[in-house]
Amino acid sequence: MNSPELPIETPPENESPSGEQSPESNDSMQEYYQLQQNLLRDTLILTGIIFGSVWIFYSLNIALNYVIGACTGVVYLKMLARNVEQLGRQRKQVGKTQLVGLIVVIVLASQIDQLKIVPIFLGFLTYKAAIIVYMFRTLSSSSS
Amino acid sequence: MSPIVAAASVIAAALAIGLAAIGPGIGQGNASGSAVEGIARQPEAEGKIRGTLLLTLAFMESLTIYGLVIALVLLFANPFA
Repeated sequence: MNSPELPIETPPENESPSGEQSPESNDSMQEYYQLQQNLLRDTLILTGIIFGSVWIFYSLNIALNYVIGACTGVVYLKMLARNVEQLGRQRKQVGKTQLVGLIVVIVLASQIDQLKIVPIFLGFLTYKAAIIVYMFRTLSSSSS
Repeated sequence: MSPIVAAASVIAAALAIGLAAIGPGIGQGNASGSAVEGIARQPEAEGKIRGTLLLTLAFMESLTIYGLVIALVLLFANPFA
C-alpha cells in the first residue's frame, strides 16, 4: 500500500533558516541607530540649554525638577526605540512598559512637596522638541 | 474632599485615560502593522521604516500621555479637593 506523498515545504529564498537578518537589512539598521543617537544628542543639548535658562529665570529647584522630567523622557525614548527595534522580531506589538517611568515620577511628584508636576511634565516633553528639531533639520537638508 | 468631588474625579480620570487611549491605540496598531508589512516587502529599507515608525509612535503616544497625566493629577493631586 502506497502512502500519499506529503508536500515538502521549502523556505523562501530570501529568508535565512535561522531567522537572522540579511546583510542589506543590517546596513539599513545603521540608519536607525544613527537616528536614535541624533535624537538622544538633541534631547541632551536641549535639556542643558533649558536647564540653564530655567535656573537663571526661575530657581534651581524648578530647574532640577525639569531635569528629572527630561531624564524620564530620555529613558522613555530609549525604551520606545528598543520596542520599535524588536517589533516584528521578538515582539508582535509595541508595549506600554515605557510609560511606567513617567507614572512613577508623576505619582512621586504629587506626594513629595519638593517636586512639582508641571516642570517635570514639561521636562518630559523635551524629547518631542528634539524630534521637531530633527524633522526641521531633515527637511532643510532635503530641500537644499 | 467631599464624596461627590472624589467620585467625579475618579470617573473623570477613568474617562480621561480611557478616551485618550482609543485614538492613539488604533493609530499605533495601523502604523505598526503597515511598518512590519513594509519591512517584509522591502528588507533593505528596514532602518528607514523603523526610524519613521519611531517618530510617528512618539508623537501618537504623547496623546495618550496627556490623558494619563490628567488622570494622575485628578487622582493624586486633585486641585478641586
